Amino acid sequence: MGDQNSVDEYLSAPRSYMETLSMLPSLLRPAAAQADRIASLTAYFTIAALLVLTIVIGLLIYIVVRFRARPGDAEPEQFTGNKVVEGFMIGVPTLLVIVFMYLTLDTMADVLPPDSGTQPDVVITGHRYWWEASYPGTKAIVANEIHLPVGRRLLLHINAADVIHDWWVPALGAKMDAIPGRTNHLWVTITKPGVYEGACSEFCGAQHAWMRIKVVAQPEPEFRDWVARKAQVANPVLSASAQAGAAFFSRQPCGSCHRIRGTAATGAVGPDLTHFASRRTMLAGLMENNPDNLRQWLTDPQHVKPGALMPRFIYPKDSINVLVDYLSSLK
Amino acid sequence: MITDVELPEPEKSLPGATVNSDQGLLMWISSVDHKQIGIMYLLMALFYLFVGGLLALLMRVQLLVPNNHFLAPDAYNQLFTMHGTTMIFFVLTPAILGLAVYLVPLQIGANEMAFPRLNAFSFWISLFGGLLLYFSFLAGGAPDAGWFSYAPLNQTQYSASPGIDYYCIGLLLSGIGTVATAGNLAVTIITLRTPSMQYKYMPVFVWMVFIDSFLILAAFPSLNAALAMLLIDRQLDGHFFNTDAGGSALLWQHLFWLFGHPEVYIVVLPPFGVLSEVFQVYSRKPIFGYPFVVGSGIAISLLAFGVWVHHMFATGMGHTVNSFFAVSSMLIGIPTGVKVFNWLGTMYGGSIRFTTGMLFATAFLVEFTIGGLSGISFAIVPIDWQLTDTYYVVAHLHYVFLGGSLFGLFAGLFYWFPKMSGRMYSERLGNWFFWLFVIGFNLTFFVQHILGIIGMPRRVYTYPALAGYSALNLTSSLGAFLMGLSMLVFLYLLYDALKRGKRAGDNPWDGYTFEWLTSSPPPLKNFTTLPPVYSFRPVHDLNHPEIGDYKKPDEEKYGTKDID
Amino acid sequence: MAQKTLIKLIVGSETIFFLALLMAFVYFSYVPTLNPRLVSRLDLTSTGLFTVLLLSSSFTFWRAEVSFRRGQTKQLRLWLIGTVVLGIVFLFGQGLEYRTLFREQLTISQGTFTTSFFTLTGFHGLHVLIGLIILSIVIYLAFLGDLDDPDSVLLPSVGIYWHFVDAVWAVVFMVVYVLPHVLADSTL
Repeated sequence: MGDQNSVDEYLSAPRSYMETLSMLPSLLRPAAAQADRIASLTAYFTIAALLVLTIVIGLLIYIVVRFRARPGDAEPEQFTGNKVVEGFMIGVPTLLVIVFMYLTLDTMADVLPPDSGTQPDVVITGHRYWWEASYPGTKAIVANEIHLPVGRRLLLHINAADVIHDWWVPALGAKMDAIPGRTNHLWVTITKPGVYEGACSEFCGAQHAWMRIKVVAQPEPEFRDWVARKAQVANPVLSASAQAGAAFFSRQPCGSCHRIRGTAATGAVGPDLTHFASRRTMLAGLMENNPDNLRQWLTDPQHVKPGALMPRFIYPKDSINVLVDYLSSLK
Repeated sequence: MITDVELPEPEKSLPGATVNSDQGLLMWISSVDHKQIGIMYLLMALFYLFVGGLLALLMRVQLLVPNNHFLAPDAYNQLFTMHGTTMIFFVLTPAILGLAVYLVPLQIGANEMAFPRLNAFSFWISLFGGLLLYFSFLAGGAPDAGWFSYAPLNQTQYSASPGIDYYCIGLLLSGIGTVATAGNLAVTIITLRTPSMQYKYMPVFVWMVFIDSFLILAAFPSLNAALAMLLIDRQLDGHFFNTDAGGSALLWQHLFWLFGHPEVYIVVLPPFGVLSEVFQVYSRKPIFGYPFVVGSGIAISLLAFGVWVHHMFATGMGHTVNSFFAVSSMLIGIPTGVKVFNWLGTMYGGSIRFTTGMLFATAFLVEFTIGGLSGISFAIVPIDWQLTDTYYVVAHLHYVFLGGSLFGLFAGLFYWFPKMSGRMYSERLGNWFFWLFVIGFNLTFFVQHILGIIGMPRRVYTYPALAGYSALNLTSSLGAFLMGLSMLVFLYLLYDALKRGKRAGDNPWDGYTFEWLTSSPPPLKNFTTLPPVYSFRPVHDLNHPEIGDYKKPDEEKYGTKDID
Repeated sequence: MAQKTLIKLIVGSETIFFLALLMAFVYFSYVPTLNPRLVSRLDLTSTGLFTVLLLSSSFTFWRAEVSFRRGQTKQLRLWLIGTVVLGIVFLFGQGLEYRTLFREQLTISQGTFTTSFFTLTGFHGLHVLIGLIILSIVIYLAFLGDLDDPDSVLLPSVGIYWHFVDAVWAVVFMVVYVLPHVLADSTL
């Protein structure tokens, strides 16, 4: 996956699950103005740090070789210090600190200015163990695969529904804690279209490992289309078996936790399933979203993702099959 | 001419002093002797080091390959929580207390701690605190919210097993022991120094322990308060940290890190003292810049209480708060850097003997510099925003705790082993242990810097097969097994030395401080007479009167002479 | 000498413990605005009375120390008993206050205000209780006649702790009971 590939191409190309994961999420491959600033600061710091480390190791090697004890050595000269040397020891680090202090404050102000009080472009909520994104001003609510437009400065609001989570997409810049009872914010100006991997970075419980983030950054028009599609209610053409699945879904308690807009299911505990089938992965990055995996999950969630909040319902095989057909048609 | 002074006798004989080695185990259990308690502290640390290390090896097996199913997620989460808690509270803390309790009375020329019975009480309550923590495995599950147990994950609705209750009680008990020992050490240093040992003549190790005692006394109450509050939340349905009922998630973080950051310095300052002794003796020179080494220790301990928010830069606090703590966190790098260069200065111009202890001290300089420099990336707030809570932090903290604290402790252990046991260890085995450990350590943790940079969060029980993740994690796990192997060599080394080691004699390294004046191991009563102290190297003055510091004026003793 | 130094260090450490509890209380009761229950539910007058009694126990203890230095055994015992009685009365007062609050369903699990209130005052009460146990032992020793060495640091050491407990209460009383009234009055 090169950065220049358009997102549509990415989404439509037949790719194995493994390939979709091949983009290295790294702060050294910034794809946003804010991440760029942090990357250059990181580069300056790395150079300075390596310089200091080289000096220490160089001195140490010299000393070890030069002053190794040799048989018959007398006690060496017993000197105890040198004011000038001490002055340098304090002075040089102090200068370094002043330089980096300036760079830090400058970059901080640039990367994360205060919340302007305007409406956020996206509201992100961390749940155990998945991410919800809603787009204020529209009805779109999605989970885990979050689309954002390129080339515009976006305000992200970050909340938590239960415990502390942390939103981190290295290519897009700073991470931010999602803290219950608090709204944090981030600014992101994405510069390149692409798919960016991220993950929850604050330990949040059993399945913290599988609370991954996928940000799909696409040009403004494509993004608008996408939001418009996601804002629609579920209105799929259903096969007979899928219709049976829909009926089963509404009879069972599914809807008390999950929402499928356009139906009676209005739960807000689990992920919104209105456009479930349009996601490439399920369970916050744990596995590819395909009927087989879905069947496995619905049969025994606690085996697939132990500790997830989805209880194990003991359903007959047939019911699970029709349920899979129904959910798979929610494009 | 140096003449001995009579050491003042304790007015009353010590309780338990009549118990002798014929009574075997009873002697240890009933002991109030600082040397025996010191050794018990060290054995406790060694025991938990193996336990905590075993937990880490299990974790590294799980992380050997992506999408591994060796451990269930909740088992993994208990393991990393217990690993961190064990290593901080039941390995490093007792190890530094053990060395301090063993050595401080010897180095200041005292025969006991100021409060021998309190000393025993502190040790036993810490030990039982640790056992209680481990009992949680049998009582329904170990704590599983990380060693800093963030709220609200630490609340009953999110962590239902009694693990966190055991965590609270275990750490409270051991915390009480730690605070009591700190007070005991401080009072011992204030009141029991041999009369001629002024503060400016105290060995650097004693200085660091002295500073450390105050750090403990000031930092632990904050943890104890937080633990008491958490226990009230969990047992009495209180709401301090329960965000579902109006509690605050950040209050816990403030209280915890107000303790937690000073704790880093608590477990690193005494090893700094150890290293200062080790570098001096094996380089055959006095410490370079004694006032700077001591002064930077004091500076670190004061700054330590003003840096805790750098653990919370990603919690969305304002720029004013973040800027303040960024400055203080960078500033604390200066006195730490000063120390590294002072140790280099101590080696410079010396005649360096590379015993195992000195090898660890030398390696420390490199490892700790790496850990210190990666630490500064967390003071630079924007870099912290990228790297906090990733494997980069895991790498950093292990370079500080292992590469810093533990390397220092190993240096000290090998340096004082002949004194404590009366026997010499095998340098050949020591070399094997050192190289296996150092190579294993760097393999394990250096690659974790890169893992963090390429986006791997910490505390994940498994990871997707993203490019680079598999190879780096495999390397890290192999390194961990190498460290595990080296620890077996270490055990054999101890066994070999105790069983077959040559008699050490009183002062095998030609050491500088008072512990080398008494026999190895020291008798129950450390000293009967002591020479007066004219410098911070009294035994060097005694053994090398021709080049002794005692003849010099103060400015030459401390290298503060003005340069014309 | 050593004993007094140790007690001073422990008391210093304990100060930070209480500061942490106090900060939690302030956080939940003063931020972002003053919790009105501080004024409406807590009884300034009766707690103030018990506060005066507790603080006067510092005076009685000071008199006990003076009597000890002068070797006046009888006065020593009386002043010590007075100190303990004042401490007990204070704890009794705290018990009464707790009972009233419990009757109004204000228990430790009622909300963040009650959680932090009972924790702060409860831990102080616990320290008073520990002080009373220590003082009872001292009284026992005094009646045995064991407190006869005028150079003994036992009484001064216990004194440091007891005065500390009183000082903590003075601060708690100001923050929990007095200051809210001052603030409430000034905003009226």
